[in-house]
Amino acid sequence: MEHTHNKLKLALAAATAMIGLACSTQAQAETPSWCGPNKATIALLDGYGGNSWRQVTTASGKQTAELCPSITGYEYADGQGDTQKSISDIKGMAAKGVDALVVFGDAGPAMLPAITSVFKAGKVIVPYRVNVGGEEGKNYTKFIGSSFKDDGVSWGNWIKSILPKGGNMLFLSGPAGNSQGIDELAGLKSVLGPEYKFLNAEPFDVTNWDPALTQKVLTAEIAKNDKIDVIISDFGPSLVGALPLFQKSGRSIPALATSDGNSLGCFWTDNHEANPDFKLFTVATGNDNVRLAVQWAVAAATGGKMPEEQIFKAPVFEDSVSGKVQCRADLPGSIYLSSELSAEDQAKAVTK
Amino acid sequence: MTQAIEPTPNLLTQRGLFSLPLARSFVTVIASTVVLIIACLIFAPSSVSLGALSGSLPFASVIAIVGLGQLLVVQQGGFDLSLAGAVSLAVVVSTHLPSGDNAMLLPAVLMALGFAILAGLANGVLVSFFKLNAIIATIGVNALLYGGVFAVSGGVPRTTTTLLADIAGGETFGIPNSVYFALAALLIVSFMLKKTVVGRRFEAVGANPLAARAAGLRVQHHQLMAYVLAQILYCVAGILIAGITREPTAFQGDSLLLPSVAVVVLGGTSLLGGRGFPVSTVIAAFFLNQLSQFALAVGVPYSAQTIIQALALGFGIGVYSVRWTVNLTTQTKKI
Repeated sequence: MEHTHNKLKLALAAATAMIGLACSTQAQAETPSWCGPNKATIALLDGYGGNSWRQVTTASGKQTAELCPSITGYEYADGQGDTQKSISDIKGMAAKGVDALVVFGDAGPAMLPAITSVFKAGKVIVPYRVNVGGEEGKNYTKFIGSSFKDDGVSWGNWIKSILPKGGNMLFLSGPAGNSQGIDELAGLKSVLGPEYKFLNAEPFDVTNWDPALTQKVLTAEIAKNDKIDVIISDFGPSLVGALPLFQKSGRSIPALATSDGNSLGCFWTDNHEANPDFKLFTVATGNDNVRLAVQWAVAAATGGKMPEEQIFKAPVFEDSVSGKVQCRADLPGSIYLSSELSAEDQAKAVTK
Repeated sequence: MTQAIEPTPNLLTQRGLFSLPLARSFVTVIASTVVLIIACLIFAPSSVSLGALSGSLPFASVIAIVGLGQLLVVQQGGFDLSLAGAVSLAVVVSTHLPSGDNAMLLPAVLMALGFAILAGLANGVLVSFFKLNAIIATIGVNALLYGGVFAVSGGVPRTTTTLLADIAGGETFGIPNSVYFALAALLIVSFMLKKTVVGRRFEAVGANPLAARAAGLRVQHHQLMAYVLAQILYCVAGILIAGITREPTAFQGDSLLLPSVAVVVLGGTSLLGGRGFPVSTVIAAFFLNQLSQFALAVGVPYSAQTIIQALALGFGIGVYSVRWTVNLTTQTKKI
C-alpha cells in the first residue's frame, strides 16, 4: 500500500516536471529573436488615425509589441491630420520617457525636425511607410518603407497575363503628387510596354482616396472612354461605390488591379457573374508594415536581434483568375482580410 | 449693361429697382451655365453625355441642397461654418446606426434629423439671442458636431444599407432620385420665401434687422429659424451622400463647405444679407458641378482643374461686385 502510494507520488512529480519543462520551452519559442532582455516602453504615433485602415494597423502594432515580454507599456497618439499636433505628440511622448517611438509621418519631411530632435535625445525612433527624408543613424534609428514599386510590378505582371496584347488602363491614386502613386506607376511602367495605354492624366487621376471624389472622377472617365480594359487603384475599397456606374451605362465592370478590402471582395463575389469582364487582382493592403517597424524599434530598445528584413513587401493576396477572392459577409466591410490580425480582432478594432 | 439704366434712372419705380437685380442674377447664372454647356459640347462632349450626367447630377443635387441651407443663413447676414460637421454627422448616423440593417434606417434618419434640429437651435440661440459672431458660433458648434461624428463612428466609415443606396442612389424615370430631392427642397424653400407671410418677413428681417424690429417683427426668431432650417437641409444632404457613395468617409462634409458658399454668391445673394435667390442658387450648383466635370473630362492636370474652378468663381463674384458698384452710384446720384 505504502509502496504504491510512493510510486504514485513519483509519477506525479515526473509528470509535473515534464509539464513544467514543456511550458518553459514553449515560452522560449514564443519570445521572438528581436525581443531583447532590457525593459522598455513603446509608443505608436499616427499622423491621421481616422479610418479603419489605421485602426487595424494600430491594433496590429499593439499585438506585435505584446509578443515581447520586455515591453512594459504601449502608448498611442493620433495627430488627427494636424501636423502641429503630430509634432507635439512626438515631443510629448519623448518627454514622458517613452523609450521607443514608431511614427507614421503623414506630413512627410515636415516631421523630420521633431524626429531628429527625439533621436538626438537618445530615443529609439522608427518612422515607417511615409518617407520623411533624412538618413538612418543621423536623423532616426531606422526607416521601414514599403515597396510600392513592387506593388506596381505585381499589378503589371497580372495585367500582362490577362491582356497579353495590350489595352487601355486607368490608374487612380490619392492626393496629387503622392509618392506612393508615383512609385507604383514606376513599377507598372517597368513591366508594361507602350501597347498598354494610360487613359488618365499624367501621372494618375487624383482621388484623395475619397470615395465621393473617386465616383466623380470615374464618372468623367467612363463617359469619355468607350473602352477601359483595366482599372488600377491603390485603394480598392474606395472604388466600390463607383463601379456600379459601368452597369448604369450598360457596360461590364472591367478588370481591377488594386489593394484588398473586405467590402471589395464581397462586391466582386456579388457582381462578377453579371459582369463577364470583372476580374480582380489584389495585393495586401499593408497593415503589417507596422509589425516590421515595431520589431525594429523593440529590437533597438531592448537589445534584441535586428530583423533581417529592411523593407515591407506587400504579398499578392487575391487573384480571381488563378486563385480565389475572399469575402466575409458577416463582418464589417471596412476590414482587411490580408492582415495578419484575425478578422474577428479587426472587427473589434473597427467597431469599438 | 449700364447703358440700359442710365437714360431712365428717374423712371425706375421702387419695384423696378428691386426686380432688376433678380433678373440680372438669374440671367447671369443662366448665361454662364449655357456658355459652359456649349464649351462642354465643343471641348468635352462626353461630360454632357447621358451617362456622365446621371453620374454627376447626384453630386450637383447635394451641393444644391447644402447651398439652399447656406442661402437661408446668408440671407440673415450670417455664415454657417458648421455645415461640414452637420453633413458628416448625418452621414455617420445614417450609416453606423443601421449598420446594414434596413429596418433600422428610419429610426436612424429620425435621429439624424433630431441632432440637426438641436445643432440648429444651438447655432441660432448663440447668434440671435447671445449676439455672438456667426462665424465664431458656428465654428464652435462645428467642433461639437465633429465630436458627435467621432463618438458615433470613431472616424471609421461603414457601408450604407441597401435601402438607403436604392433611395438616394437609385433612378426614377431615368433621372437620379437625388435630383427629385433637390427639386423638392427648392420648391419648398422658394414657396416659403416668396409666397408666405413668414417668408416675406424673413427676407425683410435679413435686409434690415433694425427696420424690421421697428416694424414690430420678431427679428431673433427669424434668425433662429434660419439656422434650424439650414441644419435640416444639411442633414438631408448628408443622408443623400450616405446613399450615393456606398462607403462614405466620416468627413464627407468637409469638401462641401466652400461650394455651399460659392453657389450662394454665384446665385446673386449678397453676403450682407437680405433678398435670396433659391432658383439661381440651385442653377449655380449645377454650374459648379458641371465645371468640375468639364475639367475632369478635358483631362487637364489636377493643378489646372483647381485653377479653372477658382477662375470661374472669381469671375462670378467679380460680375456681381461690378453690379453692386453700379447700383451704389445710381442710388447716390438719386439722393
